[in-house]
Amino acid sequence: MVKVKRREDTDLSVWNEWDLGPKQTAVWTFPERRIYVERVAQEWHVLSVVGEKNVGEASRTLIERSRKPGSSGWRHYLSRESGPVRPQPVLPDRSIVAKPDRSLMLLAGESAQFFLEIPVWFRMNVGGVRQVQVFEEPLAVMSNTWFGDPVNGELCYSLATRLHQGMSSIVPSAWRAVCPMAVTNDSATDLAFERICLHVQNLAVFRGTERLWTNGLSVLFRGAEQASHIQVSPGPPEFEPDLAPAAPARLPAESWDIRKTFSRIMEFADF
Amino acid sequence: MWFQQVVEWFRSLSPDVATKGIRIAVYVFGGFLVVRLLVSVVQRFIMKKATLQRRMVARKIIVYSGFVIVLMTVLAELGVKLTGLLGAAGIVGIAVGFASQTSVSNIISGLFLISEKPFAVGDAIRIGTTTGIIQSIDLLSIKLRTFDNLFVRIPNERILTSEVTNITRFPIRRMDIMLQVSYREDLDRVREVLADVARGNRYCLDEPAPVILCTEFKESGVELLFGLWFSKADFMNLKNSIMQDIRKRFRTEGIETPYPTRTLRFADENQSPRLTGAAAKPKRARGRPRQKPARRSAR
Repeated sequence: MVKVKRREDTDLSVWNEWDLGPKQTAVWTFPERRIYVERVAQEWHVLSVVGEKNVGEASRTLIERSRKPGSSGWRHYLSRESGPVRPQPVLPDRSIVAKPDRSLMLLAGESAQFFLEIPVWFRMNVGGVRQVQVFEEPLAVMSNTWFGDPVNGELCYSLATRLHQGMSSIVPSAWRAVCPMAVTNDSATDLAFERICLHVQNLAVFRGTERLWTNGLSVLFRGAEQASHIQVSPGPPEFEPDLAPAAPARLPAESWDIRKTFSRIMEFADF
Repeated sequence: MWFQQVVEWFRSLSPDVATKGIRIAVYVFGGFLVVRLLVSVVQRFIMKKATLQRRMVARKIIVYSGFVIVLMTVLAELGVKLTGLLGAAGIVGIAVGFASQTSVSNIISGLFLISEKPFAVGDAIRIGTTTGIIQSIDLLSIKLRTFDNLFVRIPNERILTSEVTNITRFPIRRMDIMLQVSYREDLDRVREVLADVARGNRYCLDEPAPVILCTEFKESGVELLFGLWFSKADFMNLKNSIMQDIRKRFRTEGIETPYPTRTLRFADENQSPRLTGAAAKPKRARGRPRQKPARRSAR
């Protein structure tokens, strides 16, 4: 087995492009997912399996083709593009309902900066100048949930997460993107955080030295009866200098206005 | 050969008749082409984002209207006086109306259904014992395709006067599963186990949260309602997986699902238990002599 690089701490090099040689199988290992990729004739063969949770953070290796796992789960993609493999960390294809691990009240007139960690998806592109998307796969399994009432609403992923208030408490990770969120309570009532619906399809991913980032969000809460205003920062957040774009947003943000917020649920919609 | 015969016949006609015939043919074919073109343009561009049902209704309106216009034009070309025809149609209409009350009722019911929109093409509905997916909503009836691929036609009048359940109207649904556990079980523990089963099933939504209610004390155990919310597209996946998950988990946790039991209580506890029911010997009435078994005669 030929190892390219392996570290127990964060290694964002898992997202670097990679030229696969003949008879070699590339393996990306994440805590909850392991992805095998190889090029056979005009096809890309991909196998995605549940990872072993006791592995380190993330790594990539090369193995001999004879040592690849035999499984009926291999998927075959026909593509003339044989160029380097370009993995991209992208955000999920649906909105996320993030449930903070503790109940938090933002008092009237207060502002706070929060950081959320969002598991990314592994998107594999191939090719040089002309890149072709081959497949994408979530790196963490998130269950489904519904945001809204049983008649109107949207199907989202559910994410139990910590609402960090400082970067020092966030462990750097190659498979989770940090979403900075500044919330201002401009109303006369306290704002209870129980669930937050994030339209992550409108967020891009940026790459720093040891962590991934999304666009920053700033939310102005004006009370339960009025629409809240949300703004997505057009570029990378300012918490780390020299961030490079890693993946674009799935959908462009079309509107900055959102519907009326609920009293106990903060909703970011239509952005 | 036949073409020459047609040409010869055509030449034998008077110029007026020939001209009229050509005009009628142009009206019919032209009308057909115009209607087809109009339907295509409306469906592709104007009603591109409309529902399947609305496109179907629009298509029918265009086709029927086009047919009537072409027919009236042809009749006018043939010299038929439309005013007289309409007058006669009024009288005929009254007669036909009496004879076809059911059909007219169905048509009117169909118009009400189209305007009220209790369901649309593609929805799954249940009416009586019939469940299926709506293929079309027509003026006289709706057509369903059942899940075992049968074609069912239901008159609109029946739909308007019956209770109709639209299974797929809302994006999420709740699946209610009735369970029974033994009286010996700790209900709090059972609730935790069921909640964990719901969390572990990928088709079960986290929100709205599953409902776990103690509904009734039955003969053999406690009945629970286990209600799981799911996206309507995941019905079969959830139905198949959740039953197995519950069974496996109950086995692992040692949670007993009860069998019907009977507890016998005897009136006098000091005396030895007596058999009751069919196991007991039949009582002999007092004063009645015991009958001796009949002898068999040897032959």
